[in-house]
Amino acid sequence: MQPMAETAALAYSRRFFFLYDSSKVQEEGDLTRDGIYYFSPEDTPVDQQELLCGQLAGVCRCVSEMSSSPVRLLRLRKSKYAVRMKDSFIWALSCVVDIPDVSLCDLLDQLIALFCFYNGPVRQSYQLYSKEDLALRWARYLCHLQGGSTELHNIFSCLRTIDSTHIDPLLLLKAALILQACQRCPLVLAGCILYRGRVVSTQMTPALTMKVMVYETQMYSQDFRVTANGLSSSVCSLSSFTATTQVFLTPSELYVLRCHPVERAYRSQCSQPPCQPSKSRLLSRTLSDTPTTDTDSSGLDLMQCPPASYQTLPSSPRSSLSDEPYFSPSPSRVNTPLHSNLMNQSEYFTPDSHDHSISNGTNLCAVKESLAGLNIKQDTDASSGSETKSEGVNSDQDIQSDEIKALANGYEQSNSLDNHLDHDNQIENEENKLDANNHVMCKNGKFQGETEEEARTKSKQVEGRLEEKYEPTNTPSPHETLGDTSLVPSVLYQHRVRGLVLALLVEPEFHTDPSAREEVHHSSMASLNGLEAHLRNTLPGTPGPPGPYTFAHYDCIQNTLTTNVCGHSAGPQEAFVRATKLLHSHFSHLDTLQEAIVRNGSSAVYGTRSTAQETYFLQRGTPVRNSGSPDPQDSAFSLPRKARQRLLKHGVNLL
Amino acid sequence: MKCLLVANESAEVLFYWTDTEFEQRVQGQYGVSQEEGERLPAFEDSINTLFAPIIISCSTMVDRLGENYTSFSTENNHIYVLHQFEECLYIAVNGDGDETEEDLKRKIFVMKKLTEIMFGMVTLSGSLLRKELRPQDTEQRNRLWKKLRSLLETYSRLRENDQSFLVEAVERLIHPTLCEQCIEFLERRLVQQINSNMDRMGEEVLHAFILVHTKLLAFYSSRNASNLYPSDLLALIILVQDLYPSKINLDDTSEELESSSVPEAFYTPEPSPPERESVRQRSDSPPVFQFVDPDVQMAEDSLQTLEAPIPDPSAPYRVFLEAKECPMPHSMYCLPLWPGITLVLLTKIPNSHVATSVCYFLEAFVKLEKRLCEGHEGAAAMRGQPSVQEQRSRLEKLIKTWAGMDIQTSQLQNAWTDFKNKAFSRSGSGFTRDLLPSCRNMKTQLCGVYRQFFAADCMGSQRLAPHLQERALSMVQEKLMDWKDFLLVKSKRNITMVSYLEEFPGLIHFIYVDRSNGQMIAPSLNVTDRTVSELGKGPLADFVKKKVWSLVATAQRYLQKGYATVTLRDGDYFYCYFLWFENETGYKLEVIDIPSSPDDGAPVGMLTCDYYRKLLRYYSKKHQNEVVKCYELFTVHLGVIPNEYILQHCSQLARKLWEPTRIPLL
Repeated sequence: MQPMAETAALAYSRRFFFLYDSSKVQEEGDLTRDGIYYFSPEDTPVDQQELLCGQLAGVCRCVSEMSSSPVRLLRLRKSKYAVRMKDSFIWALSCVVDIPDVSLCDLLDQLIALFCFYNGPVRQSYQLYSKEDLALRWARYLCHLQGGSTELHNIFSCLRTIDSTHIDPLLLLKAALILQACQRCPLVLAGCILYRGRVVSTQMTPALTMKVMVYETQMYSQDFRVTANGLSSSVCSLSSFTATTQVFLTPSELYVLRCHPVERAYRSQCSQPPCQPSKSRLLSRTLSDTPTTDTDSSGLDLMQCPPASYQTLPSSPRSSLSDEPYFSPSPSRVNTPLHSNLMNQSEYFTPDSHDHSISNGTNLCAVKESLAGLNIKQDTDASSGSETKSEGVNSDQDIQSDEIKALANGYEQSNSLDNHLDHDNQIENEENKLDANNHVMCKNGKFQGETEEEARTKSKQVEGRLEEKYEPTNTPSPHETLGDTSLVPSVLYQHRVRGLVLALLVEPEFHTDPSAREEVHHSSMASLNGLEAHLRNTLPGTPGPPGPYTFAHYDCIQNTLTTNVCGHSAGPQEAFVRATKLLHSHFSHLDTLQEAIVRNGSSAVYGTRSTAQETYFLQRGTPVRNSGSPDPQDSAFSLPRKARQRLLKHGVNLL
Repeated sequence: MKCLLVANESAEVLFYWTDTEFEQRVQGQYGVSQEEGERLPAFEDSINTLFAPIIISCSTMVDRLGENYTSFSTENNHIYVLHQFEECLYIAVNGDGDETEEDLKRKIFVMKKLTEIMFGMVTLSGSLLRKELRPQDTEQRNRLWKKLRSLLETYSRLRENDQSFLVEAVERLIHPTLCEQCIEFLERRLVQQINSNMDRMGEEVLHAFILVHTKLLAFYSSRNASNLYPSDLLALIILVQDLYPSKINLDDTSEELESSSVPEAFYTPEPSPPERESVRQRSDSPPVFQFVDPDVQMAEDSLQTLEAPIPDPSAPYRVFLEAKECPMPHSMYCLPLWPGITLVLLTKIPNSHVATSVCYFLEAFVKLEKRLCEGHEGAAAMRGQPSVQEQRSRLEKLIKTWAGMDIQTSQLQNAWTDFKNKAFSRSGSGFTRDLLPSCRNMKTQLCGVYRQFFAADCMGSQRLAPHLQERALSMVQEKLMDWKDFLLVKSKRNITMVSYLEEFPGLIHFIYVDRSNGQMIAPSLNVTDRTVSELGKGPLADFVKKKVWSLVATAQRYLQKGYATVTLRDGDYFYCYFLWFENETGYKLEVIDIPSSPDDGAPVGMLTCDYYRKLLRYYSKKHQNEVVKCYELFTVHLGVIPNEYILQHCSQLARKLWEPTRIPLL
C-alpha cells in the first residue's frame, strides 16, 4: 500500500489544479489565500499555493488585458497549465509538457463542466456551500477525470464502454429498447444504461454520458467495495433502488435533449451497439451553437441571473428541510442534503430491496454523515457514505466502513465470478500504480493502520474510480459552462439493479409526478433485472493474446477508445504512446491531415484519421536496419497495409 | 500585431520593436498622447508599464520555483513567447496569426544571434550589454535601435520569402563553370592583391564572397582563415540584405506594397548630405529606406530629425564571428557591384589576437565563478585549470601590455589588484565564496577591455584604404560585367521544376539540404514574380509556397522530438521528409535514435544555434574514423500518386541531387 501511495503522490505532485477568485484579493492588505477557493493537491504548503495562484493569476490578467482576451494556455519550462478565466475567477490545471495541449484544455473544460453539472453555477455554489464541502467535490471530479487505466485514455479522454466483442448483440439491442421504452413517458429526456461503470447503451451525447457516469462511478465503487469484501452479489447488496438528483444542464444540452424527440426515437431504433450517441459530435456542435450564442448574449454575469431560474436552483440544506413537496410519500425523490439522509430509510425500502442489513448499513453511513455535518447535496444517498470516506476526510467514515463490513460479512458467500473480478482488478490496480494521479492516494496518511483487507478494499475502491475516467472530449462550448448563469436545473433519475444502472435525464416535474415515476419504474424493472443477469453471466471476456503490434483506435463520435496498450507503457509501447501524442496533437491542429507515418531510430508509427475516427498502429519486432534515407523497400512504409490487415479483427475498418 | 522586446532583470526595457498595429493598440489602450515631440518616450514608457508585471513575475518564478514561463496563448490566438538568456529576458508577441510559437521562439534566438554578431563577447556581461543595447545618448540609442529593428524586419522578410532562410542553409547559384572562375578570380587576383598592398592598414582579407541577392555565387577563404560557419554566413547575408535589400523581395511583395504603400508615395525622405554621398557610392542602388516596411517607415520618420548622419560609406561593419576559441572580431566590407549583386570582404583586424587572450581569461573566471557558486573552495575551485601561479603571471603580463596600448586599463588594474589581494594575500579570503564579487568584477572589466578593443564605436578610422576598396569593386565589376544580367535572372530561377517534371511526374516541389556544409538546393518559388513560372503566378504558387513552409515547420517539429522520417497525407498532397547520414563516399550510414530536445531548447536550424552541428557531433561519436555527412530531403507530391512511386521518386531524387553539392566551395 505504502509504495503505491508514494508513487501516486509523486505522479500527483506534478499536477496542480486551482480555482482562484481575484475579486477577493484587491486591496493591499488582502491575503492571497483568501482568493484560493480550491487548490489541489491539498497538502501543498500554503505559501506555495499563494505563490502559484498569485503569480499565475496576475500574469494571466496582465496578458489578457493586453490581448483583450482570456489566457487559454500557459507554458512553463517543466510544465504547462490550461487556463480558464471568467469574471474574477481563474481555473488552472497543470500537467507535464508532453501531454498534448488539446487534451489538457479539454480536461480542464470537462472538470469545470462536471462541477457545474452537479453544483450549478460556480459563484452560487460557493455562496450556498462551504469551501470544504466543495473541495471534496472538486477532488472527486479531479480524481475521476485524471486517471485513465493508460496514458492514452487520458489523452483522448474517452468514455469507457463494455467490451462489445464478448457480448451477445441482442443484449445491446435490449438495452436500447429499455431506453426507448422509458421515453414513452414524456417527461423523460434521454437515458443511458451502465454496467459496472461502463456504458452499455446511451442516448445522450458523450459529454453528457460522461457527466452522468461520474455519479454512477460513486455507486459502482461502493458496490464494488462490498463485493470485494467477499460479499457475494447473489446477496443482492443494494440490489435495487431508485434515486433522483438535481443536476444542471446547459441550454444547448437541454435543447438537444428536448427538441428532437422524433429523431431521437428513430435513432434509437436503428442504433448500433454497443452504445449509440444521442447525437453525432458534429451535429451536436452545430445544434449547440445556436442557443449558446443566444444565452451568452443575455449576459453572463451572475447578478443578471434570471430570478425564475434562481428559484428553481437547489435550496440550502436548512430550507430544504422545510420544503414540503420533498416530503412526498413517493419512494424516491430529489435528494437534498440532510433531507435525503433523514429519508434514506424509506429510500431503500423500495419494493425490490430485500436486504435489510445492507440497507441498514448504508443508512448508518448516511446518518453518520449527517452527524459529521457534511452538507453534501445531491449525492447523499446510498453512495455518499463510501464516497466521502474514500476521500479520506472523515475518520468516522472508517469506523462506519467497519460496521458495513461487519454487516456484510454475515452474508458472505464465495462467488467465483466475483473472485475472478477481484483478481483482475488487483492486477489492473498494480498497473495503475504508476500513472495513477490519484487524489485519494496521496492522502495516504489516512490509510495507514488499516487492516490489510480494508486497505485492499480501499485500493479497489480507488481503483474502481480510476477505471471510470474515460471521458469524452466533446464537452459543449466551455463558455457555456463558464457563463454559468444560463444553466438550467434538471433532474437525473437513476434506477439501480446491482451493477446495472439506468440513468435518465428527466424534466424537473418528474419527481412531483408519482404516476410518471411509477410508469418508468415498472416499465423498466423487469427488463433491467433480466439484462443485469445476462450481463453478469457473460462478463468478463478475457482479452486474446496481444498481437505483434500495438494499436489504438479512437472513435471521435462515440468517444471511445479501443487499444491493446496495457497500463504500464514501456519499450515499444512507450514509443507508441509518445508518437501517438504527437500525432493526435497534429491531427487536432490540422483538419486536412489524413495520415502520417513518423519514424525514429527504433520505431515507426502509422496514424490515420477520418472525421469519425483516429487510428494509430505500430508493428512490433526487431526493426529492420536501415539508413533513414528515402528507400521504397523501407518497412515503415508498409505500415498502412499491415494496419488494415491486422486491425480488421479488432473491428477497425481502415479500408 | 507584433512585438519583440528585451528586458533585464530590473524590468528595464533594453530594446523593443513593434509594428504599427501593436503600437496603435497600446496607444489606444493607454490613451498615450500623440504629440510629436513627446510621442516616442511616452510610447516607450507605456511598453515598459505594460510588460513590467510579466517581467517581474518571471523573475519571481525563477527565484522561488526555479521555473520560468515560456509562453502564453490567449483565446483569440495571441501568442507570447518568453526566453531568458543569462540576465536578459526576451519577449516576442504575435496577435495576427502570422507566426506560430515556434516562429516567435526562432525570432528571439535570431535577435540574440544578431546581438552576438554585433557585440561579440560583450554579451557575456549583463551590465555591459545593457550599455551597448541601450546607450545613454538618445541619438545613439535611436540609431542603434533603428538598425536592430531594421535587421529584425529584414530577417522576417527573408524568413517569409526565401527558402534558404526557411531551412536555414545557404543557397548557391548552380553554375559550376562561372562559380569556379569566380573563386579563382577572388583567390588569385582580388585577395592576393589586397593582402599584398601597403594601404590595407594592417588588415588581412580572410574571406571574400559574392552574393546575388541572397544566393551565393562564389566563396573564397584564405588558407590561414578559420572556418566561417553557416550560422555566421546566414547572419551576414541578413546584414547585407539589410544594407542592400533585394529587388526580388520587392517584387515578391509588390502586390501588398501597391495597396499599402500609399503613405510612402507621399513621403519623399530628404536625404541628408552624407546620405547623398552614399547613394553616389552605391551607384544606382536604390535608397535603403525605400524597402523598409512602410508601417515602420512612419514610425521612424519621427526619428529622422534626431538622426546622426550615416557614417562614412567606406567604413566597414564590425562583426563578431564564431571561431574555435571565442567570437573573433572582423571587419566586414560590403561593396555593391550592381543592385542585387554584392561583394563582401571579411578582414582580420590588427590586435585581434587580444580577443583570444581576453577570452581565455574570461573563461577562466567564468569557470572559477561557477565552481565557487557550487561551494568548492581552495584548490578545488581551480580544478581543471592550469596552475594558478602561471595564470597569474600571464595575466599580469597581459595587463601590462594592454596598459601600453591605447586603451583605458585603470579599472581593470584596480579590479585585478583587488582580486589578488583577496585571493592570494594572507589577509585575504583565499578562494572562497567571498571572492565571488571580485571574480565577477574581473569578468566585467575583461569584457570592458574587449569592448574597448573591438566595439564598433571604438573602431576609429581603422579600415582598408578607400581607394583599395574602390579598386576591388571595379575589378570584380569588370570581371562580371558580361554576366551581370544573367546572374540576376539566374538568381530568380536557379533551378526550376520544369527540368524535373518529366523524370518525376507528380512531384510539385522539393528542398534538398546538405547539413554538413549548410547548403541547400530547391526549385525557385517566385510567388508574385512578374514573369510567369511553370507554377503560374499568384494564388497557385502562393498556395504551394504555404504548403512548403508548413511542411518544413512540421518536419522540424518532429525532428526536434527525434523523428527523422515523416510522411504526411494532407488534403490533396503527400509530403515526405527524410534525414539521413552518409560517409564521404556516399555510403548511407545506419539510422540512430536522435535524442529528443526539450520544448524550450534552441529551435532546429543553423542560423541561431547550430542544431545540426550538434547532431553531427552526436552521430560522429559512433563513427569516429570516418567523415559523417548529414542530408535532408523535403518533397511535396500530388496525393493521387501511389505511395510506392512517391518513395521511389524521393530515393531517385536524393541520388540525383547528390552530385551538384559536391562542387567544392573553395
